[in-house]
Amino acid sequence: MRNQDQFSSVVWFWVGIIIALWSLKYGLGSLSEPGIGFITFFAGSILALLAAILFLSSFRERKIPDPLRGLWRGLEIKKVIYVLLLLVAYPILLRPLGFLLCTFILLFLLFRVKGGYTLWTVLFISFLVTASAYLVFQVWLQVQLPRGIWG
Amino acid sequence: MEIFQHLFFGFQVALQPVNLFFCFIGVLIGTLVGVLPGLGPVAAISLLLPATFHAPPVGSIIMLSGIYYGAMYGGSTTSILVNIPGEAASVVTALDGYQMARNGRAGAALGIAAFGSFIAGTLGVIGLAFLAPPLASIALKFGPPEYFSLMILGLTVLTFLAGGSMLKSLMMACAGVIIGNIGLDLVTAQPRFTFGLDILLDGVGLVPLIMGLFGVSEVLLNIEQEPDRREVFETKVRGLLPNRKDWQESFWPMIRGSLIGFFLGILPGGGAVISSFVSYGVEKKLSRTPEQFGKGAIAGVAGPEAANNSATAGAFIPLLTLGLPSNAVMAILLGALMIYGMPPGPKLITSHPQLFWGTIASMYLGNAMLLLLNLPLIGLWVKILKIPYPILFPLILLFCLIGAYSLNANAGEVGLMIFFGIFGYLLRKFKYDGAPLVLAMVLGPLMDNSLRQSLLLSGGSGMIFFARPICLIVLVAVIIILLLPLLRRRPRPQELMS
Repeated sequence: MRNQDQFSSVVWFWVGIIIALWSLKYGLGSLSEPGIGFITFFAGSILALLAAILFLSSFRERKIPDPLRGLWRGLEIKKVIYVLLLLVAYPILLRPLGFLLCTFILLFLLFRVKGGYTLWTVLFISFLVTASAYLVFQVWLQVQLPRGIWG
Repeated sequence: MEIFQHLFFGFQVALQPVNLFFCFIGVLIGTLVGVLPGLGPVAAISLLLPATFHAPPVGSIIMLSGIYYGAMYGGSTTSILVNIPGEAASVVTALDGYQMARNGRAGAALGIAAFGSFIAGTLGVIGLAFLAPPLASIALKFGPPEYFSLMILGLTVLTFLAGGSMLKSLMMACAGVIIGNIGLDLVTAQPRFTFGLDILLDGVGLVPLIMGLFGVSEVLLNIEQEPDRREVFETKVRGLLPNRKDWQESFWPMIRGSLIGFFLGILPGGGAVISSFVSYGVEKKLSRTPEQFGKGAIAGVAGPEAANNSATAGAFIPLLTLGLPSNAVMAILLGALMIYGMPPGPKLITSHPQLFWGTIASMYLGNAMLLLLNLPLIGLWVKILKIPYPILFPLILLFCLIGAYSLNANAGEVGLMIFFGIFGYLLRKFKYDGAPLVLAMVLGPLMDNSLRQSLLLSGGSGMIFFARPICLIVLVAVIIILLLPLLRRRPRPQELMS
């Protein structure tokens, strides 16, 4: 299945079906006293129906459909994956390392993703932003940020 | 007259130093957000929402509102100087505004955009002040069936007017209803679709969802693009005050744009983007020299800029009086008001008059601040435009991460935000619009509640929705809108410009 709409509609179709079936488990109740699964059953069923319509209508499109791979053609997808990995690692390491160290490392790595800056420039900006963020959030807004290895 | 007394009270609230400060911060950030492509008012409000939990509610709403209409002002600057709209509602401004800049008339374009926005914003606020109270008193007669029908109408109109496929927008609305109903059921307190995760017991938080869906996903989409090579117009910007001929050519487009924007802004699903496109189309049709449009016609700047600003005022009407958001930004403000313990609706005027009238008065003050900010600070905005995206995006991501964490000092919220960031990224890759999802997510629990109350009232009969006149009219409108794409090809906003 290479067509974008076909792929996404199949995914949404199964999401809708699963939601509808799960809602039956919660119970639809009666019309005079709807249960907790009532609205989600209908939302899931309508979603599945619309996805099926989208799937069928994708065959009727006159113009040649875009292939799935075309979504990322000529784009820097590796950088997206790299940034996502950094974002996932951040909350995991936030408590053990603490806000200051974790944020500094994250910013250092992020500033090097697209810019061609020197090492010292990146280190300086990362330090500056980390310190500013600490002042704004911890000191001014009183957000309790984890201390990690510092406390 | 009572309205003037209320407005006077509103100005007393808005002119308090702390609220003036919040208004100023809001419009400043809004302008900045509008200037910077890639960061819209939805993302900005999402990022700043957690910070407002430490501030007074009235000041917070004033600030968040300021971001919304401030972004409309800022978006025109990049449209005119760089031909890159900083904000979706400024797309049409780029058509003629940039051409005016190329013809050495950047100053006149920027000036008329600022004055037009000010005039329209002021007219919109006046409309809001006079229309909102009578609408609120009518809304007191609404019951659960009317609310349910109006919510369905809102979602349907938004999906009809949203960019892209209506079918996909409807699917997003369904997904939003499902996501909105995750968590403990309001009536029975039974968990629903929580998958055993404690983080989902209170439902999916609005803040992590919108930060992920709009903030993180926008960054991911921009990262995968080639480095941007923005060329900022280096010509010195002179003569910001429009001349007499400019005013003659712009006056009626501004007035028409204000009316178009205000009434389209009220409609659920309508808003600044649609208003600006419609205004452009109208001005082109009414112009004696339509061939000048696209080549530097000042009416092509004045009308849309007026429309997008007055639409922001109009959009507040259904939110403040009915508690129904008409677009994604209003949906976020609805969430914010509920978090502050001030649920919007017909009783808001009487239960929290300082919030209602203070916000309206602050919008007038905010428009005045924007006029003063935008013209003299053009040079500063041009410099900011030159901030490289490799520097900007880590700051945006950091803001998102801290913002999500600060909600409950819980890394799970950050995880949720990242999940919705990936989800939002994929949605946009596959050309699904996130706005219907957000609106439906906010309305989902309210719809569930209204539907169940309606069916309880009627003893299980669905005829209650057809027996009440307002419900009947609204549901007939919903059916017509759903059938329109089948009956004829839906005119897209771009088609109104040709």
